[in-house]
Amino acid sequence: MIAVTLLAALALVTGDSLPGIALERRTAATLDARVGDTLDLALEPGAVVRRAIVSAIYEPTTDPSTVTRRDLAVRFHLPDLSALLGAPDRVDRFGVALQPGADPLATAAALNQVAFGYRAAPSAQIASESSQTFRVVSRFHAAIAVISVIASAIFLLCIMLLKVEERRRDAAVMRFTGVRRRTIFGALLLEAVLVASLGSIIGVVLAVAAGAVTNSYYQQFFATRLIFSQITFGIIRFSVLLSLGLGLGAGALAAWRLVRTNPMILWGRG
Amino acid sequence: MNDELRGTGNGEGETPRGSAPVANSGSPVPRSPFPVSSSPFPIPRFLRNLTRHPVRNGLALAGIAVTTAMLLNMVLLAGGMERSFAQLLLGRGYQIRLSPKGTLPFDTEATIPGIGRIRAAIAQDPAVGSVAPLAGSSLYGRRADSLVTLFGYGIDPAHQALYRLERGADLLPGDTTGLLLSEPAAQLLGATIGDTVTLVSRLDPQVVVAGSTRRLVARGVVRWLYDYKGQPSIGTALPVLQDLAGFRAEDRGSAIVVRVNQDEEVEPTTARLRAAFPRLEVNSVADLLVHFRERLVYFRQLSFILGSISLVVTVLLVATLMTITVNERRGEIATLRAIGMSRGRVIRGVMLEGAAMTLIGGALGALLGTATAHYLDQILTSFPGLPAAISFFVPHTASLVVAGLVLTMAGVLAGVYPAWLAARAPIATTLRTEAT
Repeated sequence: MIAVTLLAALALVTGDSLPGIALERRTAATLDARVGDTLDLALEPGAVVRRAIVSAIYEPTTDPSTVTRRDLAVRFHLPDLSALLGAPDRVDRFGVALQPGADPLATAAALNQVAFGYRAAPSAQIASESSQTFRVVSRFHAAIAVISVIASAIFLLCIMLLKVEERRRDAAVMRFTGVRRRTIFGALLLEAVLVASLGSIIGVVLAVAAGAVTNSYYQQFFATRLIFSQITFGIIRFSVLLSLGLGLGAGALAAWRLVRTNPMILWGRG
Repeated sequence: MNDELRGTGNGEGETPRGSAPVANSGSPVPRSPFPVSSSPFPIPRFLRNLTRHPVRNGLALAGIAVTTAMLLNMVLLAGGMERSFAQLLLGRGYQIRLSPKGTLPFDTEATIPGIGRIRAAIAQDPAVGSVAPLAGSSLYGRRADSLVTLFGYGIDPAHQALYRLERGADLLPGDTTGLLLSEPAAQLLGATIGDTVTLVSRLDPQVVVAGSTRRLVARGVVRWLYDYKGQPSIGTALPVLQDLAGFRAEDRGSAIVVRVNQDEEVEPTTARLRAAFPRLEVNSVADLLVHFRERLVYFRQLSFILGSISLVVTVLLVATLMTITVNERRGEIATLRAIGMSRGRVIRGVMLEGAAMTLIGGALGALLGTATAHYLDQILTSFPGLPAAISFFVPHTASLVVAGLVLTMAGVLAGVYPAWLAARAPIATTLRTEAT
């Protein structure tokens, strides 16, 4: 895009022959402009003023790369912007649609051989380059997630160990009354699985609620419809399986230690 | 029996001040001035308590270490970006920036006309020590039969705020044939100090000619302060760059930076310049930090949320562990209460144990956090277009001290509930239960 500073001032006059422009919703709100209003436009303060009529107010496409910039956008017909810039017949970029079956890479290479002063690139390559920012953010989120998962896993292991250890006396009584070790082990394991399952369900509900709050807050904060937190089935499956696996593992470890211990020691008399 | 075990008859189980506690047998228990030898929770004892259940306590310490590492990272992230940005902006001592209205310096391709006139007017201000006009534009450098894309800076060598010389010679005032290269630009052009470099600009694909061509001699290799990693940039005297970029006719530039003699004069001078040049954007470093903060609000909020969650997890972990530990030691605590231990001592001991666990885990977490901060910084500094000098995780003594105090307080607070449980346990009932 041509990077210019357009200074706009609202002038409440009408003119049928004026060029039409479209204001982004936030620009319209900032200028308190409505469809049909006339705006004075200039490239910089004190420069020659051009007038344009607001013919539309549009909702911008959701673009994460611009969400924090809060630029105020205006759309022109190309000849109108060229005239305002004093740069007729100049553009920043072309979009080229290829015939079906044409190779974008080969076509871009061929165009680059024709002349200098521009660079032709396939859309996929541009998309890849422009999404570099999000790849960095994704890597950062992934690293934070790994730390969080490690912390949660340790927390879960610790809690499960404590939970089973709490049953020392119960286990001792069961051993005194002739209950088999395998039965005690199974009962403790079942309890661990139930606790982990219940915790997983609560965790999923909390995550969904937190995601909804996050989306609601940031969508209002940045005045956008971007989705900031998306809890997919894959994420839920991974989290629940990890939680159940850790719960089961920790429960089994603690239960195994418990059933191997002399019941008198479990009772506190060993 | 119960009344005797409840202690001193004051209904609270506390030993009266100034009197020696009396045990069941009636023999006095000596009150030592050193709690290490008489308290059930002297420092060596509660450190020993941590070794009673090595698996359990090891896991708890590991958990605290990881959450502390996260807390440390978030504390560094919360203020690190701003501090790093401020250091970058003040790297050459220029405290005020003027840019086209509605923009930040070099944020768009918008330019300021009549930059020489504006510069002369600013220099009249008695508080101003130096004024440096700057221009920036995309250029092309010729290498063999091809062109490479460069970013060009136009500077006044006598007043420059953009680079540090790494090797070779600096441009001298009035040098219109000299060129400064960044290391990536030198590599891209295959040029070394003393080589002649051909720069072209404003390429016209229709007539296949360049709008302007200059042959300049590489004087030195510099580090451009605001360049991103690997950015191929060159610098020339301002008029040369203006020629190349087509700025000369209207004497256009991209920004003006101003150094004020006294720091306390920065804000008044900013206000004066704002009034004198209403058609320009005038920002002090403090103003730019506000803009920067707005753009990176996501990271600040994320660091606050994750830091808070880390603290909550630490408190939960310590509180859970201490509660179960206290429950396991009810008999021991009841016995000690029965022979005269005051509730206050029991509470203090449990809370100290929680704090000790938090501090040990926190110390491990500080080491872990330092390593993870370095790794996370490597990720975030790979943002495209970010100045290479920016860092996201910058240590700050005051922030670290506050974080340490908050963590310690969290550890102490985590012991409140288990301590209360330990103190309120009925002595006789507990002893009877333990005996059966």
